Amino acid sequence: MVKKLIVILMSAVWLAAGRAGEPEKSVIQIMVFVQPPSWETPWRSEPVRRQGGSGFVIKGKRVMTNAHVVSWAREILVRRYQDAHPYVAEVEYIGHDCDLAVLKVGDERFFENLPALEFGELPKVRSSVVTYGYPAGGEEISYTRGVVSRVEMEVFSHIGNRQLLTVQTDAAINPGNSGGPVIQEDHVVGVAFQGMPGLENTGFFIPPPVIEHFLADIANNHYDGFPYTGIRMAPLQNPAYRRRLKLPDNDLGARVDALLPIPSTCKVLKEDDVILRAGAFPVASDGTILYQGNRVSAGVAFQLVQAGESVPLQIWRDGQQQDVSLPVYPYSGDRATGYQHDALPRYYVYGGLVFTALSLDFMRTQGRAPGDPAHNELLYELYYHRLENPATARPEPVVLATILPDAVNANVANRGRALVNQINGLRIEKLEDVIRAFETNTNAFDVVGFLPNHSVECLDRVETAKANAGILKNYGVTKDRRL
Amino acid sequence: MSTTAPPSHPEFPMTRPTRSRCFPGLRPLLLILFLLGAAASAPAEGTRRSDRSAWERSIVTIEVARKQYDYYQPWAQGTRRAQKSGLVVGAREILTTADEMFDRTLVRIQKNGRGRWAVGEVSWVDYHANLALVTTSETNFWPGLKPAALGSAVASPDGNLQILRWREGNLEHRQAEFSQFSVREGQLSPINQAVLEVSSEIQGAGWSEPLVAGSRVVGLLVSQEGRNGYVMPASFIQSILEARRKGQYHGLGYFHFYWEPGKNPASLARLKLAGEPRGVIVIHVPDRPDGGEQVVKPDDILLNIDGFDLDMQGDYQDPEFGHLNLENLAVRRKWAGDALKIQLWRDGKPMEVSYRLPKFEYTNSLVPYAVHDKEPDYVIVGGLIFEPLTDSYLQSWGAEWKRNSPFRLNYYNNEEPTKERPALVLLSQVLPDPYNIGYQDQKFLVLDKLNGRKISRLTELQEALQQPTDGCHVLEFAPGDSIRRIVLGAGDVEREATARVLQHYSIPAAARIHN
Repeated sequence: MVKKLIVILMSAVWLAAGRAGEPEKSVIQIMVFVQPPSWETPWRSEPVRRQGGSGFVIKGKRVMTNAHVVSWAREILVRRYQDAHPYVAEVEYIGHDCDLAVLKVGDERFFENLPALEFGELPKVRSSVVTYGYPAGGEEISYTRGVVSRVEMEVFSHIGNRQLLTVQTDAAINPGNSGGPVIQEDHVVGVAFQGMPGLENTGFFIPPPVIEHFLADIANNHYDGFPYTGIRMAPLQNPAYRRRLKLPDNDLGARVDALLPIPSTCKVLKEDDVILRAGAFPVASDGTILYQGNRVSAGVAFQLVQAGESVPLQIWRDGQQQDVSLPVYPYSGDRATGYQHDALPRYYVYGGLVFTALSLDFMRTQGRAPGDPAHNELLYELYYHRLENPATARPEPVVLATILPDAVNANVANRGRALVNQINGLRIEKLEDVIRAFETNTNAFDVVGFLPNHSVECLDRVETAKANAGILKNYGVTKDRRL
Repeated sequence: MSTTAPPSHPEFPMTRPTRSRCFPGLRPLLLILFLLGAAASAPAEGTRRSDRSAWERSIVTIEVARKQYDYYQPWAQGTRRAQKSGLVVGAREILTTADEMFDRTLVRIQKNGRGRWAVGEVSWVDYHANLALVTTSETNFWPGLKPAALGSAVASPDGNLQILRWREGNLEHRQAEFSQFSVREGQLSPINQAVLEVSSEIQGAGWSEPLVAGSRVVGLLVSQEGRNGYVMPASFIQSILEARRKGQYHGLGYFHFYWEPGKNPASLARLKLAGEPRGVIVIHVPDRPDGGEQVVKPDDILLNIDGFDLDMQGDYQDPEFGHLNLENLAVRRKWAGDALKIQLWRDGKPMEVSYRLPKFEYTNSLVPYAVHDKEPDYVIVGGLIFEPLTDSYLQSWGAEWKRNSPFRLNYYNNEEPTKERPALVLLSQVLPDPYNIGYQDQKFLVLDKLNGRKISRLTELQEALQQPTDGCHVLEFAPGDSIRRIVLGAGDVEREATARVLQHYSIPAAARIHN
């Protein structure tokens, strides 16, 4: 009975898809051989592994997919619908912040008789959509129908520290679906990209406003990324706060609670400014705007323009309404708190001590358990120090990732995964400081200080200098640094 | 947390974990294990009947009822009941650990493992050392009891170690095997001290059960992790009791500096210490909490403390216990305020300093280590609940609180108090009311300023509440990843809201602040 029901449901999906045209012909199966770097031993890479994804043909003889499908790819193979022949593809543009990428395929035959899919509008809540793709569990194309559940901003897990507009659906989105089109009335209304652990029947897709922003961004042959203003907005619903700011009690306006040190934003706004209108959208007291019939975070209003453009703002400051214009740009100051996919990890090896930049990727490697003081110090440095005390925060905190055992470092008690505080008296602000501290030392010993508790390790400078080349050779480290 | 069985069916509580609280969910499982263990229990082979009789006259059962606070609702309290062992050590004097003795409401004692309970009184308790003395004025309790002798040194404990406790009317004997001597944090304080580690099949132990060898008491079992039991050595107990009798004991001291082993020859050579690696290197010296002069400095190499040479691991040769971590020298017959001679190596030369041990105070850290014998402080302002940030508060997250409590709150344990910020006040949660609309979801925020005044204590908060800013209270929280600032109405609107919240949420008082 259950089988029958499934057949009926699938048939219905098939018939619906068939009636609406044949978008499945433009849906691409993607096989990727990826090799991400090892963040703990940053001179080497992890083993090559195969992963699958989906994509679809868009205008300009391009294949659109998710950035996470093709990140760290060594080889990308694409296959047409019901065609066994694999074609080699390359990443043409990739946006890690919005988890989108476009691929190009060198072999012109790939695009023969493949119509480009057209993009539609942001789908309405409660409307039906069909997800096309090649999820795990089979080799053939799969279709799943679902309902648009809600539209709101969510964290994009590929990068981990950016929120953009998403659409939630109850259509199953499984591994392998990533990058596949979400279709409504023959038009692409989204790119399937992530689920949510612990929630069943919940999938998310990237909606047209984000896709169109990405495509407009790369129109000049360069991807800049989504703007990030660094405004931390707080609801302004308590009557006492509104009275204090001499603001009418009209449920309009959200308060600027804090600003990240982004000069372009700090020049225009200050704390306790009230944003009444962002772009074309009135900002409600809960910090939301009404966007195409959906109440979403006002952050969306700042993501509809391209990098370098400005967002007109109506603000309330010192009891008066003002009009200002906020130029917006992508922001890389918090890069380490997100997953990094576009550059190999920086490192420096000296005397077998492997130094690398502290990052979320590094923290995700196996190491000390949460609760360990050294682990906590790294977490604090990565996430909180910059927010709490920007004046003393290090631009690029450096961590002793690991130690390559050798006679010269045999008596070093520190086992790695510790925050480097200073070396030979120089406070370490970034990886280049590590190199400078060692290379300019003329004392008999190199002294490395760590946090917490200011523990210290010493190396005999002359002996270490003699041992360096041998250590690198012994452990297959071809270069002592990557900067 | 659950309570133990009612007095009519005395049972021992679960295993006393090491410096942590029990997971409520684990208790039923442990109880089952415990009962299985009880069914299998039997007096150890080879224990002479006469020895057993002697111990029956020296070991008693102590039942403690105490208040248990809910730091998330600091006005509310429950009760908790625990049973533990006591050892008669003198005329009308029963020795036990201080564990569970805080916030007590009733102490009862029972001899022979059965029969009538006598109301007990705690004549002395010390949370530093985790020791207490209990007595009773009921004269008919004492006949038939005989003080036990605390043993002397246990440098070579033999294989005849027994853990004793009353179980269902019988004195249970459980074999224990010596593992090692080590230095660990105390059960009720972070002060390091020597412990004897044993392995035993006994379950649900760690509640002051005497560990005996032949006719002498080797120590008291203070905690248990699986089969491993941790025993406070009798010699440590004796030294404390003796110092107390002489009026010399005023709490434990400790070394208020950080050090690392001198294992790295390059580190020692840099500090110009020739010869075989030895001693430990001082790496960080915070200001003394008592304002005294710090006589050790970073880069000092400590070579000898109180007459004991330090090896490169940071161990010394203890006459009683063998190799032990140097931290034990701060509590080895030395108390807070006592001075020790430290021989050290500084700037390429030997020298000697006199180090006066600072007293450990629970309130000296930015996040107080624990709060004993005190109901939780709080202040409620229109539904906003403010409390001091303490480890007791963080321990509300259960046995794994260091892992499970909010990271940023826990990380304050890594920060040192300053004159400007000696303690922290927390907005713990908000009880929803129209007055605080818009702020209902705020919680776990450290208050930095109120109406422009720095806040470290609840009393400062109360004072600042008397100085509203333009008819409002402006609250600024410590910078971080949460909201920085909120504003609330002051005056009548605040007072009315507070009264409304107290009534609506059945809270007896808007504030409780101990001096």
